[in-house]
Amino acid sequence: MKKFYFVKFLLALLLFIGVIQAEAQVFTASGTVKDNSNGNPLAGVSITVKGTKQTTTSNSTGNFTLNVNSKSAVLVLKYVGYKTTEVAVNADRANLNVMMEEEVNSLKEIVITGLASSIKRSNLANAITTVSAKDLMGTTQIQTADGALYGKVAGANIRMNSGAPGGGINIQLRGLSSLTQASAPLIVLDGVYINNNTQRTGRASVTGAGAANQDDGANRLADINPADIENIEVLKGPSAAAIYGTRANAGVLVITTKKGAAGKTVISFGQDIGIGSPLKMMGVDNWSEAKINSFFPAARRAVELSRFQAATASNNFVNYEDYFYGNTATLLNSRLSIRGGDEKTKFFVSGSLTDEGGIVRRTGFERQSVRANIEHKLSKSVVLSVNSNYIRTNTDRGFTGNQNNSGASIGYNIAYVPNYFDLRPINGVYPANPYFAENPVAVTDNGINNALVNRFIQSFNLDVNLFKNENSQLKFRVNGGLDYIQNTTKVYLPDDLQYQRGQANPGDVLVGKQESTNTNFQAAFVYDWKIKRVNFNTQVGLVRLDFKNNGLFNRGRGLAPGQVNIKQATVQEVESQFESTQSDVGLFVQKQMNFEDKIIGTLGMRMDKSNTNGDANKFYGFPKASLALNLANFDFWKIDAISQFKPRVAYGQTAGPVPFGATFTSLGGVNIGGLLGATVPTSIGNTNIVPERASEIEFGFDAGFLNNRILFEATYYVKTTLDNLQPLTLSPATGVVNTTSNEAEMRNKGFELGLSGTVVDKANFKWFSRLLWWKNDILITKLGIPSYTTGAFGTGLGTFLVQQGVSPTTIVGTPAISPGVFTIWGNAQPDWTTSWSNNITLFKNFDLSVLTEYRSGGDNINLTTFLTDGGGTTKGWFDDTNGDGIPNGRQRDPAPYNNAGRWVQDATFLKIREVGLYYTLPKESLNKSFGKLIQRAKIGVSGNNVFLATKYVGYDPETSTFGAQALANNVDVAPYPSARRLFFHIQIDF
Amino acid sequence: MKKFQILFISSFTAFIFACNPLEVKELTDPNNPSQESVSNNASRRQIQFLVTGLEQRHKGYVTNVSQAWNTFGREIWYLNASDPRFQTDWLGQAGRLPDAAYFGFGATGGGSYATPYQAIKQGLILIDAANNTPLLTVQEKKAVEGFSKTIMAYQYLIPANFLYENGIRTDIKDPLNPGPVRSYTAALGFIDSLLTAGYEDLNNAGTTFPFTLTAGFNGFNDINGLKRMNKAIAARVAIYRKDWQGALTALNLSFMSLTGSLTAGPAHTFAAPPDGFNPLFYVLDANINTIVVVHPSVLADTTQGDARVAAKFHKRTAAVTVTTDATPLVGTHQDKRWSVNTAPMPFIKNEELILIKAEAHAQLNQNTDAVSAINIIRTAAKIGNYTGASTKDALINEILYQRRYSLWAEPWGHRWIDARRYDILNTIPTSFDKGTIFKQFPRPQAEINWDLYDAGN
Repeated sequence: MKKFYFVKFLLALLLFIGVIQAEAQVFTASGTVKDNSNGNPLAGVSITVKGTKQTTTSNSTGNFTLNVNSKSAVLVLKYVGYKTTEVAVNADRANLNVMMEEEVNSLKEIVITGLASSIKRSNLANAITTVSAKDLMGTTQIQTADGALYGKVAGANIRMNSGAPGGGINIQLRGLSSLTQASAPLIVLDGVYINNNTQRTGRASVTGAGAANQDDGANRLADINPADIENIEVLKGPSAAAIYGTRANAGVLVITTKKGAAGKTVISFGQDIGIGSPLKMMGVDNWSEAKINSFFPAARRAVELSRFQAATASNNFVNYEDYFYGNTATLLNSRLSIRGGDEKTKFFVSGSLTDEGGIVRRTGFERQSVRANIEHKLSKSVVLSVNSNYIRTNTDRGFTGNQNNSGASIGYNIAYVPNYFDLRPINGVYPANPYFAENPVAVTDNGINNALVNRFIQSFNLDVNLFKNENSQLKFRVNGGLDYIQNTTKVYLPDDLQYQRGQANPGDVLVGKQESTNTNFQAAFVYDWKIKRVNFNTQVGLVRLDFKNNGLFNRGRGLAPGQVNIKQATVQEVESQFESTQSDVGLFVQKQMNFEDKIIGTLGMRMDKSNTNGDANKFYGFPKASLALNLANFDFWKIDAISQFKPRVAYGQTAGPVPFGATFTSLGGVNIGGLLGATVPTSIGNTNIVPERASEIEFGFDAGFLNNRILFEATYYVKTTLDNLQPLTLSPATGVVNTTSNEAEMRNKGFELGLSGTVVDKANFKWFSRLLWWKNDILITKLGIPSYTTGAFGTGLGTFLVQQGVSPTTIVGTPAISPGVFTIWGNAQPDWTTSWSNNITLFKNFDLSVLTEYRSGGDNINLTTFLTDGGGTTKGWFDDTNGDGIPNGRQRDPAPYNNAGRWVQDATFLKIREVGLYYTLPKESLNKSFGKLIQRAKIGVSGNNVFLATKYVGYDPETSTFGAQALANNVDVAPYPSARRLFFHIQIDF
Repeated sequence: MKKFQILFISSFTAFIFACNPLEVKELTDPNNPSQESVSNNASRRQIQFLVTGLEQRHKGYVTNVSQAWNTFGREIWYLNASDPRFQTDWLGQAGRLPDAAYFGFGATGGGSYATPYQAIKQGLILIDAANNTPLLTVQEKKAVEGFSKTIMAYQYLIPANFLYENGIRTDIKDPLNPGPVRSYTAALGFIDSLLTAGYEDLNNAGTTFPFTLTAGFNGFNDINGLKRMNKAIAARVAIYRKDWQGALTALNLSFMSLTGSLTAGPAHTFAAPPDGFNPLFYVLDANINTIVVVHPSVLADTTQGDARVAAKFHKRTAAVTVTTDATPLVGTHQDKRWSVNTAPMPFIKNEELILIKAEAHAQLNQNTDAVSAINIIRTAAKIGNYTGASTKDALINEILYQRRYSLWAEPWGHRWIDARRYDILNTIPTSFDKGTIFKQFPRPQAEINWDLYDAGN
C-alpha cells in the first residue's frame, strides 16, 4: 500500500506550506493521479481548485494541468469509487504526484444491470453483490473462482463436492429454482456465456459407482484463472437477472476480467508456495480379540486372530486414513501480468502457472493460463476490445467416492480393512486384500483418473457512439464471443490389480473426448437522454446463443500388461457417442429513469425462444420492474448521521431452459449377436414442454451511516417457480417409464442482511469489518403428480421426499410409517448461514484478513459411516453404549435401530475460510536495494480452510457424492478429504 | 471519423439480413431415429432392427431375475460386499419384507417388472410397424406377429410371477391409459391365449422366418422351430395353470425330445461389446467379493454322484465371506455353468420340458409315464433310476427335487415359483442367513402413483 508515502508526502507538503507566505499569483499546477494500491494512472479524475469553478480532468495517462489564480490553493480530486482527496499546491511546488485511495464503502461502484448498461450501486434497486479482485483473491490462493466466493455473497449456498484437487463446486443462489436441473447460476465472462458443466470423466463407469454424476468431476469454471478476475457480480435471482431471460433462473454470475490502463507499464509477478494437509480425519477403530470374535464368522476367526496376533507381536498396525490421506501436498502458483497502454490502446496480458498437489498421492491440479485483454480506440467514438484466454488444465483426482464391486475407491475400500492387516507392497508385490475386492494401495500407485482440458475463450466488444449532444447520446454496442473446450479424459485400472485379475478381461481403460463450443452474439442500442431533471436510459437489443456439445468415449478391457492404448485391449468398445446442439434467441428492451439520483425506476422486458422447447418458435416473455428511492438525497432529509437511506423494490421473471432431448421419442441403438437393433424408448418426449419459470419480488433497504462509513443492507425476497420440470412416472406396465412433466411449483423465501464498515480508521490501525447473514426456506407449493422419493440410495439409506407442502430437501427413509410413507429424518437445507470478514491494516504496511463462515443446520446423509460400520472400522465401533451386548457399530440410534435415520446427521459447521497476513516493503528500502526497478513488493502468509469446527462425523460437512445437484447434493460416500492449505506469498511490481 | 460508424452499422445490417440471428433450427435427435419413423411404411431393414431390438429387450430381465429370484428361492446367494442391501434386503434379514420401492427393484419394479414390459412394448410396436408397411407380405406379417406374441407371452410371465396374487395389467397398448389389474389366474389365461394367437399367426406364416435372428435361435429360426418354441412356453404356462392335460398337449407340439440333448433350447446370446457379456459369468476362484455362490442348502441336499453337481458347482479355493449386520455369509461354491463370458443362456430347454411331462403325468396319476420321464433326467445325472414310492405326492416331491438341480439358477427362479405352486415356501431353509422367504412383491410404487395420478385427472 502506497498510502504510507502519500501521508508522508502530505505532511511534508503541509510543513512546506506553513513556511511559505501566500502571495497572490497565477501559476499552472500539473501532475499525475494514480491508484495508491497498484500505482495505475487514473484517467477522468475531476480536479477542481477549491472554492473556484476552475476544473479539469486527468487524461488517459493520469496527467493533468490546471491554472490557479493564486499563489497557493487546494485541489479537490474526485473520482468514482475513490475517496475524494484534497491536496495543497503552490507556485513552487506546482507538480504533484497524487495517490488516490479506493473508497472503502462501495456505494459508488458501477454495477452492470442491463445487458448493455450499468448503474451506480447507490442507485441500485437490487441486492447485487459485487466481489472485487481484492475480496476474491486478496487474502489467500484458492484454486477456483467459485471456491473463492465462500462467505462473500449473502444468499449463496456454496458446496464443495469433495476435497479432490481442481474444483467441483455447486453454487445455489436463493434456494432452488429447479427440481431436476443443477440449479446452478449462469456464468457470463466478459460477455461470453461460458460452459460451467461438470463433464463426464468416466471414473464412475470404470469403478462401477454408477452414472456420470458420481464421477466426482470438476465444474469447468475451474479453468478460469481467478487472478485474472477484476470482479464478479452476483445477480441472485430473477428480479435482478430478468434481462438475461432463459438460463437465469438460478441467478447469474457476471465475471469481468482485468483491463489495461494507460500510463507506465506495470509488470507484476506473484509466487505462492504452499502446503496442503488434511483438514479433518474421521479416525479409525482399533481391534481386539474380543472384537474379532464378535465381528467375523466362526470360520474366519482363526485366521483373523493370527493376523491380529502377528501384528501385535511386531507392533505393525496401519492407520489407513493417515497412510492414504495424510500426505503433504505441494502447492505452487506463479503469476505474471503486464498492464499498460496509452490513450488509444490499453492492454492487460497475464500468464499463470498452477501446480498444486493433493493430499492423496498421485493426485493434483495443474493449470496454465495465458490472457490478453486489449482495448483500442479506433476513433474518437469507436472502441473495440478483445479478450483472449487460452487455458490448459490437467487434473488427477484419484480414486475415492462410490464404487461397486471393483474396490477402486480408497475410502470405500479401507472402510473394510482392519488396521492389523498390511496392504502395503512388499518388494513391489501388493498383497491381495482379503477384506475387499481390491488393494487400494495398488490402485493409488498405478491407477489413472485424469482429465486434460484445452480451452479457448474469446470475447469481443465494440462500442460505437453514434450521436451525442448536450442532452442525449446514442450508442451502439455489439459484443459476443466463443468458449471452446476440448476435454480428454482417461480412467485406467491396470490388468494386474486384484479385482482385474478376477475378471474375464483384466485391465480397463476408458478414454473420453468431449468438445463443447458456446458462441454468443449480442447487439444493442443504448440511448441516454435528459428531460429537465430526469435522466433516461433506454436499451433495445437482441441476443443469440448457440451451444454445441459432442463426445466420444472408447473403452478397452483385457489390456496387455502395462498398456493403456485401447488397441492393446482384448475387448474394444465404443462406449458412448453423443452430440447435442441448442440455440436460444432473445430480444430485450429496458428503460431506466433517474430523477436526480433520488428516484430511480427501471422497466424491462425480455422475450426468448429456444429450440429445445416444445414449440421452438414461441417467444416467452420475462418482464422486470424496479424502483429505488434515495431518501437521503432529498432536501427534506435532515438526519445527518444517516448519509444514505434507500428503500427499494424489484420484480422480475426468468426461465430455466428445457434440457436437450426432452421433446424426443427416439429409438435406441443396440447390438446383439452381431445384429443392429432398434429399441422402443422407455421415455416419451413431451412436445408441449415449456421452460421452467421463476418470478421473484425482492424488497429491502440500504442505509449508510456516518458518511457511509457504516453500511447496512437488508433484503427480503420471495421467489416462486412454476412449470418446474420433473419426471412423470407412468405405469411401468406400459413399457414406458416416464415423460417430462411441467407441473411443479415451488416457493423460496429468504432474508439477506449485511453490515459493513470501517470500525477504526487511524493512521496506524485501520479495521474494516463485514458481517453477512442469510437464510432461505423452500416449499413445494404444487406438485401436479403423485409425491415421490428421489435421489441418494433409496429409502433404506435416506432419500428425498418430493411432495406438495414440504421442502424438496426433506430427507426421508425407513422405517415406513404406512405403505409408501416414510419417516422424515432431516432436511438438507441449512437453517441459516453467516459470515464475518475482517481486514486490519497495522502500521500501514501490515494487512491482516480473516474470513469466517458459520452454517447452521442442514443435514447430510453420511454413508461413509454406513461403510465403516459395515467393515467394523468406525471409531468406537465395539463400544456398547446401552450395554445390551450388541456393539454400537451394529446398533445405531435412533431406536428402533438401523433405520435410515442413523445416517442422517447434522452438518452444522464453523470454518475459517481465509486468513492472510501481508507485509508491504517500504519503498525506501526497495529503492535502496533495487533502485527504481521495483515499484512495490509484498510478502505474506495465508491459509485457506484453516480451521473446521463441527460435530459432523465425516471429513467435511460439505460433500456431495452426486456432484452438483438440485437435490441430493449432500450425500457423503467416502469422499476425497478436504485439505487445509497454507501459503507463503511474494508479490513484486516492476 | 464517421466512416467507422457507417462501416459498422452497414456491416451489421448486412449481417442481420444475411444470417437471420432470430432464426432457430427445429431440433431433431442427431443421435437416434425417431419412433415415428417406423410407425408407417417402415422399410424391411427397419423391421429387422425392431426384430433384433425385441431380442435385446427379451434378455433385459436376465440379470435381475437370476440374481434376485434365485436368492428368494435360496438356490443361490448373490454376495455383494459393496452394497449390503443385496444381503440384508434380498434375504429379508431382520424380518424385512418387500415394499413398493424395494431395494434392487426401485419404484418401477426394475428388471422384474418394468423391463419385461419394455419387451412387451417392443413387441407391440414391432407388430404395428410390420402391419403398417406395404413392403411385407401377409405371410411375413404373420411371421413377425407370431414371433412377437410368443416372446411377449414369455415376458408377461415375469411380472405375473413377481407380483403373483397382486395381479398385473395385461392391456398396455396406450401408455397414458393402461388397462386394469387382473388376477394371476386371469393373467395366465391371457398369456395362454396370447401364445395360442401367436401359434395361429405362425401357422399362417409359411415356412421360413423372413428376418434374421441371432445364433441363440439356431434350430428355432424357421416357422416350425418358432412354433415348437411357442408350445414349449405354453407347456410351462400350462403347469402354472394346473392344466396338466394342456401341458401334455403343448409338449407334443413343442421341441421336447426324450432322446435328444437335455440342454437343447432357444437361448439368449451374449458377446463382447457392443453386445453384452453373460451376466452370470464369474472367473473361477476370482479374488473378488461380488459373486453368485451356491446356496448351502443346495450343496447339503445333493445326491451322491450327481453329475449336475459336478457340472454346475465349483468349489472355490478360498471361500467368499460377506458380513452384514445380521450374520456373515460364507460362499464356498460358485457357478461353473459358463465356460466363457460369451456363453449363451437357454431360456427354456428340453430338460425342463421332460420334467414338465413328468409332473403332468404325475398329476394325472399316469405314474408309469411320470417315472419314465423322471428316469430320463436321473439317468443323465448318473444317479440311477427312481426307486421311491409311486404315489402322486412322492413323485411330485421327486420331480421338484430334480427340478432344483436340473433347473438350478436358471434366469427364472424356478425353485421360488415351484415352492409357491406347491405351497411349500416354508420348507425353504432360512437358517443359513436368518432371512425371510418372500411370497410375492407388492405392486410397484410407480403403479400405485399412476393410479393416483389417473384418478386425479
